[in-house]
Amino acid sequence: MSDRPGGTNAGGEAPDAEPVVETDEATLTADAELERTLGLAGGLAIGIGTMIGAGIFVFPGLAGGRVGTAATVSFTIGGVVALLVALPTSELATAMPKSGGGYYFVSRGLGTLPGTVIGLSLWFGLVFATAFYLVGLGFYALDALAEVGVTVAASPGALVSAIAVLAGIGFTLLNLTGTENAAKLQNGIVALLLSMLVAFLGFGLLEAFGVVDAGTPPGEAANVWEVVPIMSVAALVFTSYLGFAQVATVAGEMKSPGRNLPLAMIGSVLIVTVLYVLTIFVATDVFTQNRLLEAGETAMVEVGRQLLGPPGALVIVVGGLLATMSSANASILSTSRAIYGVSRDALLPGWASRINLRYGTPHVALGMAGGPIVVLAATRQVQLLAEVASFLHLIMYGLMCVALLAIRRDRPEWYDPDFVVPGGPVVPVFGALASFGLIAFMQPTSIAVGAAVIVATAGWYFYYARDITLRGAL
Amino acid sequence: MARVLVPVAVLDGGTVSPGLMSLLGTVDVTVLGYHELPEQTPPDQARLQYEERATDALEDLREEFETAGGAAEHRLVFTRDREQTIARIAEETDADAFAISGMTGDVDRLLVSLSDGVATERVLSFVAALIGGREIGVTLFLAGDESGQRRLEDAAERLRGDGIDVRTEFVPDDPAFEALMDVLPGHDAVVVGENAPSLRSLVFGSESERLASASVGPVLVVRGGESSSE
Repeated sequence: MSDRPGGTNAGGEAPDAEPVVETDEATLTADAELERTLGLAGGLAIGIGTMIGAGIFVFPGLAGGRVGTAATVSFTIGGVVALLVALPTSELATAMPKSGGGYYFVSRGLGTLPGTVIGLSLWFGLVFATAFYLVGLGFYALDALAEVGVTVAASPGALVSAIAVLAGIGFTLLNLTGTENAAKLQNGIVALLLSMLVAFLGFGLLEAFGVVDAGTPPGEAANVWEVVPIMSVAALVFTSYLGFAQVATVAGEMKSPGRNLPLAMIGSVLIVTVLYVLTIFVATDVFTQNRLLEAGETAMVEVGRQLLGPPGALVIVVGGLLATMSSANASILSTSRAIYGVSRDALLPGWASRINLRYGTPHVALGMAGGPIVVLAATRQVQLLAEVASFLHLIMYGLMCVALLAIRRDRPEWYDPDFVVPGGPVVPVFGALASFGLIAFMQPTSIAVGAAVIVATAGWYFYYARDITLRGAL
Repeated sequence: MARVLVPVAVLDGGTVSPGLMSLLGTVDVTVLGYHELPEQTPPDQARLQYEERATDALEDLREEFETAGGAAEHRLVFTRDREQTIARIAEETDADAFAISGMTGDVDRLLVSLSDGVATERVLSFVAALIGGREIGVTLFLAGDESGQRRLEDAAERLRGDGIDVRTEFVPDDPAFEALMDVLPGHDAVVVGENAPSLRSLVFGSESERLASASVGPVLVVRGGESSSE
């Protein structure tokens, strides 16, 4: 085991192994410095901004429709699993505050084969997740059209696909050519969403406990308090918790990573968990299971209408559009970072991380993200896209926990995390078990697609990157 | 010896005008080559691709500065936030001032602004060190109320004591930025204090704002001093 990555790939390229020194403000290489420019607010905005779109605006109808108020338990389980993973991830990220996130930790902790599988699966996992957000965006755009009086009778489904595809192309092009600082916009959107949600949920809760009466129908959702359905909904909605690990993909750009990374990851998980549970509680309090199921992806719009009339519906439509857009955009950015991470280690050809001279953006990686996203978005398979995304992420989450155990045991000289998960091996062991366990409750098709991706990425390792050594390197 | 930080957008054709180079001949110089990145681009990715080209350009600049007089070193930073990077490197190199490059020929007269609550003493001792006995005149400028006039005269006396040719321009209660632009003709470079909010757009404004004031020539920003009482 050496301190530096070694070996070459099938194309004769070696990993970039420049030694660096990390400070709170910059990463110092031999001849250059990389400024850390993201603060805690920026990190939270990435985490929350990526997650909130799905859990609040897409899943309540699907989840509440299946198990009613019991879906609050599903969301809580999702939150607990995410937290069990966020803690070990925080420890790893403060010891290795590098771009690449989960891929980086797994490749350093467990070696090149798991690293390649996770690095490439993260790419595809994010592709599936982004496609899922875009389809959600499509549904909200359809509802927005309906709100302003345009109804599409012929084939609303095709329109959703078309909007999702166009939005996917749009975001990719925007990221390819845009030099505007969208990060500030993202922070603003997240702040706006949070305040909208707090107001909306506050009113919904008052209504639920009978303090105010908005004239909602008395029949609450029939509840399914059974373990298997609740767990299977938890597996479905876990896509709403994928964002915290995206914070780790920008770990190299975070100021004072030892403090800000754990706060941003754990904080964003806690915040969205509370919001999700409250949202589903309000939604299932307002509507019965069947009504929720009928309204589907945009059930929250109907909940808003029931509670606050047309303005309520409008607020939710606007919120849903903003939230799904911010999720999709943040995920496209993370995808291109994930591709860069593996390409730097020569697990993908070096040209994958080339930067466009005209715009200064990583055009190849963005294209490798945007292309498959657009194709998948066209399928409009919300549940399949969500579950495959969760599957691929959960594999990574589980292996990150295992990587933490391995790296603690191996104790490379450089391993000195600022944040240490208390309780010894308890949290990572439970995190790994919970991550892998949740997969068992997914639909067979999703598991099959996810497994196929894993097998394909392992195949790529044997073909392309067998001679590269990453384990224990920094 | 005084040290000046000279930030240069090294990959976007940023250069240092010959006039600024010779003006800084009396001080040590840190050339800060920076490259601002869009958020889509991980800084490390940009480093892989651009480091060599940027370092070559910086090495050339460093040599030119050494030829002009003082000792020079260079740093290369990939960043998303130019202002934050300049502040950090200035702090680390303990620079007395940083220079916003602008076109100028030989510098014969400096316009030194004492407006806002800048640390007068720091600005004056920097100006004295910068001139370093050369034939460069100074116009001290202050926009403000009556108490400022007194401060202006004291400052002028202080510099004359160093044998510098000093003129003063006092503008009562005018917007400092416009007033400064009015007295600008006839000066080749501007010295301001860091804590001068009204002149901020000159230094950290958007690209277009800085371009619009490009006729200003180089601007030297003297660091430090939270209050005027220093």
